[in-house]
This record gives sequence, C-alpha cells and structure tokens, in this order.
Amino acid sequence: MIVCVAVVGHQNNPLYLQSFTEADDALKLHHIVHCSLDVIDERVNNPKRSAPTLNETFLGLLYPTENYKVYGYLTNTKVKFIMVTTDIDVKDADARNFFRKFHAAYVDAVSNPFHVPGKKIASRSFGSRVSTIVKSFGAGTTV
Amino acid sequence: MPPLTPPKSGDALFASVDRVNAELFTLTYGAMVRQLLTDLEEVEEVNKQLDQMGYNIGTRLVDEFLAKSNVSRCVDFKETADVIAKLGFKMFLGVTANVTNWDAEGTSCSFVLEDNPLVDFVELPDTCQGLQYCNVLSGVIRGALEMVSMKTEVTWVRDMLRGDDAYEMRVKLIKQVPEEYPYKDDD
Repeated sequence: MIVCVAVVGHQNNPLYLQSFTEADDALKLHHIVHCSLDVIDERVNNPKRSAPTLNETFLGLLYPTENYKVYGYLTNTKVKFIMVTTDIDVKDADARNFFRKFHAAYVDAVSNPFHVPGKKIASRSFGSRVSTIVKSFGAGTTV
Repeated sequence: MPPLTPPKSGDALFASVDRVNAELFTLTYGAMVRQLLTDLEEVEEVNKQLDQMGYNIGTRLVDEFLAKSNVSRCVDFKETADVIAKLGFKMFLGVTANVTNWDAEGTSCSFVLEDNPLVDFVELPDTCQGLQYCNVLSGVIRGALEMVSMKTEVTWVRDMLRGDDAYEMRVKLIKQVPEEYPYKDDD
C-alpha cells in the first residue's frame, strides 16, 4: 500500500506531494519525504564504486523507518521521485515498474505548454493518473 | 494528351508528403500559444491572432493541397467538406475528421475530430478558460476556402480541453464568390 508519492525538483523544491491515507499522518509523511532527500543527496554525491553507473535512475530502498519503506528514483534532470509504502515485502521489479509509469505520467504533465518548469504541477489529469498507478501497484503484488 | 492521374487516397497522400515528429509539432504549437498569451495577455486577442495566423496559413496551404492531391473540381459544398475532412486533414495533420450535422440547405456542416495532434499533453489552466486553443485550425479552413471562392464562417462547438468528448467545428458557407476578372472586357 503506497501511502505517499512526491516529486521534488533539482533544487529540492517540492513539485508534487500526494498522500493516499487519512490526513492526520500527512505531516509525518511529508517529513519522511524531506528526510529521504538527504539520503538521496548522499547517494548521488558519493556513488559506491562497486555499483553499476549505467542505470542510475532507480535508487532503490532509501531507508526503512518503523512502519514505512521509502524508495527513490532520480531522473537525468535531477528531478526526484519519492515513494513511501507500508508494504512489508516489495519486489524490486514492482518498484521499478511503478517508477517507470510514474516517470511517463510526469513527462506528459511537464509537456503541457501551460506548465511552468519549477512551479508545482497543477495538472488534474496527472493527479488522476498517479492515483491509478498507485492503485495498480498494490494489485500487482497480490495477483 | 497525357493520361490524367487519378486523385490519391488519404493514406497515399499522407505517405507522399514530408513528415515531422508529432511531438515536435505539438510542443512548437504549444510554445507559440504560450508566447502569444504572454505578449497579448488578453485571451480574446490571442483567439483573434490564432485565427488570423490560421487564415494566412490556409491561403497558402490550399495551393499545396491542390497540387499534391490532384482532386478535381468539387461539384458542391458537400463534396468540398468531404475532401477537406478525408484528404486535407489527413495530409497535414495525419488524422481524418468526420463530417456530420448537415443542415437542410447543405450549406453548413460540422467537422468532428476524435483526436487532434495539436492538443496532446495540453491542459488549460483556470486563468485561460476562454482560450480557443485550436483556433488556428478554423482560420486555416476559412483561408483555404476563401482562396477557392467560398466565403465561410467557422466556429468551435465542442472542445475537449473544456471537457467535451471530441473537437467539433461548425463550418457555414456564407456565399460562393464568383471569380472576378481583373481586366474589363471592353478595354
């Protein structure tokens, strides 16, 4: 169950933040997303020498907290996608798949001539696409 | 006499012209509309400019269309509308339109476009709700038909960016202007 997704720009400015649970946890989720940005910066600035440098987009599990797991994805324009989930067991392939679809939705939203890069994504269809992708994430693992 | 070449079908026409990447086309058009909005600020002004630009494009486009497609003279407005919908749109935009809603005298019809390459990825923000994003298309049709002696009026009835299910333009033939010779006969 994904509880929160976020898109953060290359200057660490938030572009899109959407939580999928009841609102009282929202602040905590935002805080988690914020902390995970630090982890991303650390990974990006000190790449592990043994890790392959070709597929740098999917950053994998950033850090597990008490109930949540946080996954990150970095585009080549340094835009970061963060996904917070409560699933205990998340397959790597599912997470990669999720980010791939999310990336496609993000690219379409940004291609809107009325979107100003650097401002928040105001597209309603992006919101609904993200909801669909989030819903199908859970379903994929059970089938 | 050399044999007359038959008019080409829509697909053959589309295959015979030079093509450009659809995303490049869409993004260029979007950037142009954005720039117009920044320069002119008023949505109505932008609509008028798009129509004027379309008119200028249409007056030049019709010659290229007639040269490449080899269609013969249309007998009536119905045939003209069919030719525009099936061959014209296909040749320049890569999509075909459907002609519907003919009125009783046969002078007014609707072109319905299910999918329109100009508007991929576009969502109108709340500040520009009056914007007719595809107004350039109505200008093109008006300009092209004026060059072949038909004065028309084109308006948008349905627009997917406003929540409708398709794009529909209403084309009304106002009058057929007979060709005027610039020189008087008795000079």
